[in-house]
Amino acid sequence: MGLITPSSTGNDAEQKPLVPRVTSLEGKHIGLYDNGKPAAEPLLTAVQEKLAQRYPDATFEWYHVEHLNQIKSDDEQESVVDWAENVDIGIGAIGDCGSCTKFLAWGIELIEDAGTPGVGLIDEGFELDYQSNAVERGRPLRYKKTPVRCETTDLDRVREEVSNEVVDGIEEELTRSLNDKERAEQVAQ
Amino acid sequence: MSNQTQKEQSLEEINRSLYKEGLTDGLPVIPPTDERVEEMLRGTDNPRDHVLGEIGNNDNPLTVEKLASNAVMAGCLPTYMPVLEAGVRALADPDSNSIQFSVSTGSWAYQWIVNGPVQDALDIESGSGAFGPSFHANQTIARALGIAYRNTAKIYPGEKDMGVMGNPAKFSFLAGENEDSSPWEPYHVTNGFDEEDSTISLAGPNSWVQWFPHENSAQDVLRGMIDNTPESMRASSGEDLNATITHFVNPYNAEELEKEDLSKEEIKEYIVENSYRKTDGTSNSMLDTDKVVPRQVRQYDDTDSINIVATGGAGRVNAIAGTSIGGPVTKKIEFPDEWDSLVEEYSVEREWVPTEGFYD
Amino acid sequence: MAHHQPREDSISTVSRSLYRQGLTDGLPVIPPTDERVGKMLRGTDKPRDHVLGRLGNDDSPITVEQLASNAVMAGCLPTSMPILEAGIRALADPSSNSIQFSVSTGGWAYQWVLNGSVLDDFGVAAGSGPFGRNTRVSRATARALGIAYRNTTKIYPGEKDMGVMANPLKFSLFLAENETTSPWEPYHVTHGFDEGESTITLGGPNSFIQWESGADSPEAILGGMIENTPPSMVGGEQQGGDFDQTILHVLSSEDLETLAEAGLTKRGVKEYVSENSYIPIEEFQKGVLWDDALDDYHGKVDSRQVPQISGPEYVKLVAGGRSESQSNVVIGPSIGGPVTKKIEFPDEWGSLVTEYAVEG
Repeated sequence: MGLITPSSTGNDAEQKPLVPRVTSLEGKHIGLYDNGKPAAEPLLTAVQEKLAQRYPDATFEWYHVEHLNQIKSDDEQESVVDWAENVDIGIGAIGDCGSCTKFLAWGIELIEDAGTPGVGLIDEGFELDYQSNAVERGRPLRYKKTPVRCETTDLDRVREEVSNEVVDGIEEELTRSLNDKERAEQVAQ
Repeated sequence: MSNQTQKEQSLEEINRSLYKEGLTDGLPVIPPTDERVEEMLRGTDNPRDHVLGEIGNNDNPLTVEKLASNAVMAGCLPTYMPVLEAGVRALADPDSNSIQFSVSTGSWAYQWIVNGPVQDALDIESGSGAFGPSFHANQTIARALGIAYRNTAKIYPGEKDMGVMGNPAKFSFLAGENEDSSPWEPYHVTNGFDEEDSTISLAGPNSWVQWFPHENSAQDVLRGMIDNTPESMRASSGEDLNATITHFVNPYNAEELEKEDLSKEEIKEYIVENSYRKTDGTSNSMLDTDKVVPRQVRQYDDTDSINIVATGGAGRVNAIAGTSIGGPVTKKIEFPDEWDSLVEEYSVEREWVPTEGFYD
Repeated sequence: MAHHQPREDSISTVSRSLYRQGLTDGLPVIPPTDERVGKMLRGTDKPRDHVLGRLGNDDSPITVEQLASNAVMAGCLPTSMPILEAGIRALADPSSNSIQFSVSTGGWAYQWVLNGSVLDDFGVAAGSGPFGRNTRVSRATARALGIAYRNTTKIYPGEKDMGVMANPLKFSLFLAENETTSPWEPYHVTHGFDEGESTITLGGPNSFIQWESGADSPEAILGGMIENTPPSMVGGEQQGGDFDQTILHVLSSEDLETLAEAGLTKRGVKEYVSENSYIPIEEFQKGVLWDDALDDYHGKVDSRQVPQISGPEYVKLVAGGRSESQSNVVIGPSIGGPVTKKIEFPDEWGSLVTEYAVEG
């Protein structure tokens, strides 16, 4: 029986490679990308504090998206790319709701577009959401799950939740070498 | 309806005539042929003519066969029959007050909560998106019970069902309790059942509010539960009218309450004690005295009028459903002998998640 | 018992198979065969491959043919096509913000309001409640638009649709304005359309509160409108003016009459509601507005109170029930739109309407 499909034929996104990782965070100029969600700034602040302890020579530079939806505009996107070109690595936050997880994936993609390795920090409940938005963009964008949950803005609490394990994981995503899929090389089926 | 009839009529014609007779909710139904009803009956050990309950003004009997026919129409699988049978027992229980909320001008919905191992067996969703138009069991069970009630009681909109507005959630309000991620004992255990029992609970609310706390903390969650209960919702337990409100709390916010060591009972006490509203201005509907008017009244009279159910997935959004003017009543789901093999035979897998193989 | 082997193309087999692929809401669908889609296309003069709009993250195109396929599945008649096409244009309009309310944790519903002569064409102007006047038309239309959006954007619950609870109204919140007994101009006229035109309006709310005014004074009705708007519903500018957050009131005939007799205009009601919506600052849902909504009220000292609704433009009014009642509804907050689109009819509209008349 012939059925007429109700779904879109879809735009199969072209598979694109990730930017090669760095060997270490030592002495790096680290970008902190705040996607405009209330929990993003305290989370990145706690991450910055931990990294500054581990790497006293590292320097930091922030980018704040003022309103979440602003990332939809071409001007904002260009400005993220410009900013990301001047940092060695980019750490973005936070994916803790539907739109913000999507826009975080977009932000990490822009960081990668600038030739800078990026990682997105997400609420652990939003892993599939982040992954599927990355699929849609054609890149297995890297991420690190954190126990920091939606709308937690109390900095002292966030400091506790950003454990050594979380910081280790962020480093791992920024330094672990790319696999075949991430290099977007054709893998024999 | 015989197979012969079905062959002669197109699917559209069958749907149209069932709709004209008032037997459907307007959406497509699967024609309840002898063959399909027979298959549906595999889900029960009760005989066809067994009366599950008496429903409506005239105490019309609802038999297993009639229920199966409605289940076919609604799109159910045979494995949903045990849940439907228990649901009918809830509707037929006078404590559910189902007749009142089916005919009242207030446009009420049938609110169903499912507990216990049956959730896994039937893929009843209790996490992310549970109340949405997305999951086979959630959608078809609520619909089957809704149309079974209407078709048995013979109550039609604008005729005996006098709902002024109509309720878009009327036949679609069903979710499981997210027992795995809840810090509390499950709803059915609080109401006297064993943890390994499976149950279905019925209430009749007409409004639905979603809200989220300012900050992810116990205090803000409790405040939000009270602040976001609109004036039209009032909770007060009692013999004549059990007016209850159900709070659906997401796992993240439930965890915050748990961190403060708050039991379900203590949460209810907090709500009752902190739910005073001033009686000046517009709160007249909350007064039930014509003597000296008090300066303030409690919106939640007592803890028995509050239900707390853990539902939903990741995120900060909670929901309030109320005021229910019936129930809640909870019924145990009884399974047929061949349950396990039936469950294995009838499963509807979800294959729509597209990330497989993209990440390692 | 021998297992009944259904025909490959039976409605139950096709419904389950499409469900597995994420293409339905879980309820039975009419299989979208070539023949049925061909028939559905009688409802439009546009070619099959005409792109009606682009939806979702990827701006995926939706053609007339795809829409017709979803319409068949949902149980629509060919006469629904003009409404559906206008609905798609509303979804595709960036100011509807449909992508945000489709993926957000807030559990939003697609709220549709129908206006104009099309109400008579469909018989949806008759009967009781505005949410259920002709369930076949209202349920199937809302459902078709819901699944068409999901199937085009490929957004699935728990995957990219992160609604924590989701919403039992999501694909069923469809409202026909009661234009005939309203003392005021219809919704679409207020929003710049001619009275003779037919329109469909899209919003994205997540809560639905029914309340009974029981009031005999205009003040009490207006007070009830405010009291029954929980703080989770904030009306105002969002995200630096990227979109508006609005609240819709559906008012009963009797209460509308009381307001009109007191000399109040629609605008007057909206002004009253926003001007009298001040709430203590600790009840204000700061989390709703990400762009420092409170700045105007902050000096060096915090304000004691802020308006929950920051202006009359964030309040929308629709005339509800025709029967004598005082049941009203508050629906909100819509985080997108509302956007209104004109419905364009095919040349043979008059004869199509006669051919496909639906008995309510």
